[in-house]
Amino acid sequence: MHPLAQATTQPLPLPEVDWRAIAPELALAVAGVVLLLVVAFWPRAGRGVLAGLTLAGLAAAAALTVWNWDLERVAFEGAVSLDGITRYARAVLLAVGALATLMVAQGDSREGEPDDSPPEVFPLLLFALLGMVLLAAASDLLVVFIALEILSLSLYVMAGETRRLAAQEAAMKYFLLGAFSSAFLLYGIALCYGATGSTNLLEIADATGDPTADGTLLLAGVGLLAVGFLFKVSAVPFHMWTPDVYQGTPTPVAAFMAAATKVAGFAVFLRVFAGALGGLVVSWRPVIAGAAVLTMLVGAALAVVQTDLKRMLAYSSISHAGYLLVGVAAAATVPAGVSASMFYLLTYAFMVMGAFMVVQYVSRLGPPDDDAIGERSSLEDYRGLARRHPWAAGLLAVFMLALTGIPPLSGFWAKYYVFLAGIEAGLTWLVVVAVISSVISAFFYLRVLVVAYLQEPVGDPGAETAPGRTPALGVALGLAGLLTVAIGLAPEALIAAARSAERILG
Amino acid sequence: MLLTATLFAPLAGALLVALVPAARQESARLVALAASLVTLGLAVVLAARFQTGDAGFQLGMTAEWVPAFGVSYRVGVDGVSLPLVLLTAVLTPLAIAGSWRMADRPRTYLALLLVLETAMLGVFVSLDLFLFYVFWEAVLVPAYFLIGSFGGERRVYAAVKFFVYTLLGGLLMLVGIIALFWLHQQATGTPTFDYEALVDFQKAPSTQRWLFAAFFAAFAIKTPVWPFHTWLPDAYTEAPTTTTVLLAGVMSKLGVYGFLRFALPLFPDGARWAQPVLLTLAVVGILYCALVATMQRDFKTLVAYSSVSHLGFIVLGIFAFNLQGLQGGVFYMVAHGLVIGGLFFITGMLEERRGTRRIEEFGGLQQVVPRMGGVMLVITLGSVALPGLVGFVGEFLTLLGAFLENRVYAVLATVGVILGAVYLLWAYQRMWHGPLEREENRSLPDLTRREWAILAPLVAAIIVLGLFPRPVLDRVEPSAQRVVEQTQAPSP
Amino acid sequence: MRVGPGAYLLLSAILFAIGVAGVLIRRNAIVVFMCIELMLNAVNLSFITFAKTNGSLDGQVLAFFVMVVAAAEVVVGLGILVAIFRKRSSTSVDDVNLLKG
Repeated sequence: MHPLAQATTQPLPLPEVDWRAIAPELALAVAGVVLLLVVAFWPRAGRGVLAGLTLAGLAAAAALTVWNWDLERVAFEGAVSLDGITRYARAVLLAVGALATLMVAQGDSREGEPDDSPPEVFPLLLFALLGMVLLAAASDLLVVFIALEILSLSLYVMAGETRRLAAQEAAMKYFLLGAFSSAFLLYGIALCYGATGSTNLLEIADATGDPTADGTLLLAGVGLLAVGFLFKVSAVPFHMWTPDVYQGTPTPVAAFMAAATKVAGFAVFLRVFAGALGGLVVSWRPVIAGAAVLTMLVGAALAVVQTDLKRMLAYSSISHAGYLLVGVAAAATVPAGVSASMFYLLTYAFMVMGAFMVVQYVSRLGPPDDDAIGERSSLEDYRGLARRHPWAAGLLAVFMLALTGIPPLSGFWAKYYVFLAGIEAGLTWLVVVAVISSVISAFFYLRVLVVAYLQEPVGDPGAETAPGRTPALGVALGLAGLLTVAIGLAPEALIAAARSAERILG
Repeated sequence: MLLTATLFAPLAGALLVALVPAARQESARLVALAASLVTLGLAVVLAARFQTGDAGFQLGMTAEWVPAFGVSYRVGVDGVSLPLVLLTAVLTPLAIAGSWRMADRPRTYLALLLVLETAMLGVFVSLDLFLFYVFWEAVLVPAYFLIGSFGGERRVYAAVKFFVYTLLGGLLMLVGIIALFWLHQQATGTPTFDYEALVDFQKAPSTQRWLFAAFFAAFAIKTPVWPFHTWLPDAYTEAPTTTTVLLAGVMSKLGVYGFLRFALPLFPDGARWAQPVLLTLAVVGILYCALVATMQRDFKTLVAYSSVSHLGFIVLGIFAFNLQGLQGGVFYMVAHGLVIGGLFFITGMLEERRGTRRIEEFGGLQQVVPRMGGVMLVITLGSVALPGLVGFVGEFLTLLGAFLENRVYAVLATVGVILGAVYLLWAYQRMWHGPLEREENRSLPDLTRREWAILAPLVAAIIVLGLFPRPVLDRVEPSAQRVVEQTQAPSP
Repeated sequence: MRVGPGAYLLLSAILFAIGVAGVLIRRNAIVVFMCIELMLNAVNLSFITFAKTNGSLDGQVLAFFVMVVAAAEVVVGLGILVAIFRKRSSTSVDDVNLLKG
């Protein structure tokens, strides 16, 4: 046979499609599309139905994650890596997604008012989760970029989902700054590609050890990547968008952003910096450590002066990003840095979502503080909450104390683990700064409790509207509170799981 | 198991109290009292089973908690902690009885008191450094809410100051604990927070110094050692009286207990290095707070300062590093708990009757409420260390210990004893003797049956332990001797 | 005259810097958005240059992905801007100042 004819009969060398490796992502994508169709063709579907479908999609994804639990491989020619970080982040993200679905299902309308957040928020939530889960699994910079854009584009729309001006303003700020930071990240990817000849993280990891690679170009690329990631995880000095966005967006979306984007963002941060660029740790560790110091201190200091609880939680999330950066800084040399960060993300996600759930509950109690902002989240609204709504106040106390890091709540073990990893990596000075920041942060978390517990209610408590029936929110609050306490009392299993997530790349 | 039951009985009681329906808040009092009495009963059984003469830890229990971090649930009592467990178990039911008339959210208040009891007991019996730290911080939460939610006018300020101050100290100690854990793991390869293992582990003297400093931060703030005492007058004055009884009676012992149990045996070289500083701070604290107490017009603040001043003696005794000082220190902790508890109870009873605590508002009360006056006299004399009463034994032994170690400190501290007698007796005289000037004071009722039930056990203990201190001292001695040996162990 | 890859990279860097400066200086949201698009296209130029120097196609593939993503961003971004413009009749980022503190 003629050689050319022989060649044409051979199949084209297509990359092997490993469906099983991305099964949870596929489930989320399918669920998202189904919901989009439902919303389009059945406009009168109730929120309960949509939330039920969303939860079903999440459950399917979770089941597939469990099915894949012991699967360890690099799929799609190195584009997706199934390692410890991937499965841990998948589990956390799906749990966060379920809580966020319950919050969204509850909506932000008060009794008797039409709900102004559109039903499209459910498919968007699923698409955002798809991006996050994919981001946590990405082991190629191209996939990192695409996953990041999937989640960002969904979140931009979710942030502006209501007609309130504040939400739209938040969406615009989030969009402009998010796109700006994506461009930096992309330039970083380009320079890394130029210096190493590949966008695959494993190949970059090999190339960083190669002395013939273009060092200057690579370092410039690493710097730009750092800027991009620091933007996404809202670290100082790239944090300016966070408070505005958290305050302006509807509370369920803000909770989702605060918890889930941090999980996905830090998962990829760890894989790229501690994994692929681990060979350059001497070069980037001072930068990350410096950003950690600034983030912890500035976040905590600015949180002290806030008068709006959502804004305060935004600054508190900035300072928590600082503790996580301590974990990232440690991760390149000690594996405990990876597991400490992952465990921190897990506990933090439930604490911060719980805090936002209480905000959502309280904002149902009366007219908004300001029509444009459209929500009731000023600290004044929490005066004497303990006397009026003891359960909500009790849960608020649990979340605030957990965020402060008081034992035996979950936040304590997380902080402890990160400190331990920092000391092990020889970053004791950084841990001392973290301790100082923890003490500063005690001031503002306590202030919320002071207002809720120690001050008398103002005005006529009878004028307050009833929160109405809040079954979905109640379940979500119960779950978040239970997890925060239960992880605090028996953290062993989850720490062991985090230890198994120490294996990154391959 | 018995010890674990003692430890968590109050917590279980707190949960039961919280479950009492809101409409029947009075029955919450009965539940709380029953829970605290069960705890007391268990503590008494514990004391009965305790083997006198054994220096080690007894009646303990060990279980895995978080093996990934080397953290275990490890508890036990020795001669040093047993008296403090008993003191806690005795004072809590009295504090609950003292809050019997409380109208404002009694359910929450009593549940918090019981949670506080578990947390404080936990500090005394923990033999795992991490568990100890967990209980140490857990004390903060109920104390914060008790002060901040139920206290006087400046309660919020006092509560936040207390919380942030102690949290700072606690976190610095946490860094020290982690560092110690890590050094031990580096040297031996086993991750553990086990107290005995970490005591036996040899640490370089230079390391010991800064580790001691980290632990010092926590203990000095909690005790408080002068000049870290500024949160205390606010907290004690603003807290509701029965809370103050527990704060002053038990919580102030956590810091000195920490020195004795952890700082000394873990870091003997560090402790010896810091000894002059601590002795100086103790003496300055004794004298300074005595002088400040003399000038107070509010009786509760006066007692608060007297508490700081007397705690100085305990620190002095512990840092004398000899048997007399340590034994006296432990005994003084018990004595101080009983006496200061009594003083705060009386303050609370006067405040309930008259709505004020200012000394000049009273005068000549002896004619109106003679029984209360009698009790007050016994407690005051116990506090100024009259021989034959409980304060004397503790004060004598700590001063003896200090004298054997360094005469100058002992002599200066003796001046503090005299000052203590001056301000307490002067206040007693102004309030209970002299002319009965105020009209409102003429109709004050004397002690009720409930108040007798609270004060009688205290008065009895003050007299009995003053006359027969041996049973306590015998149990303390072997364990105190062990601490002395650990402290004087030669460094590697 | 032959132009080496260095010149393309320099041009790309200059375009990127112009984009950054525009985002930081300009106040009109539409113009800010255009500057971001300029940054993305500057990066595309780099990708293609590197694809040439590295002798692999990855860079060109990446450039295509970036173009698709940029198009998606335009859709979402203009949607948000139009929604705000309807309420305010202004697209200056200085007028958008509800959230601060």
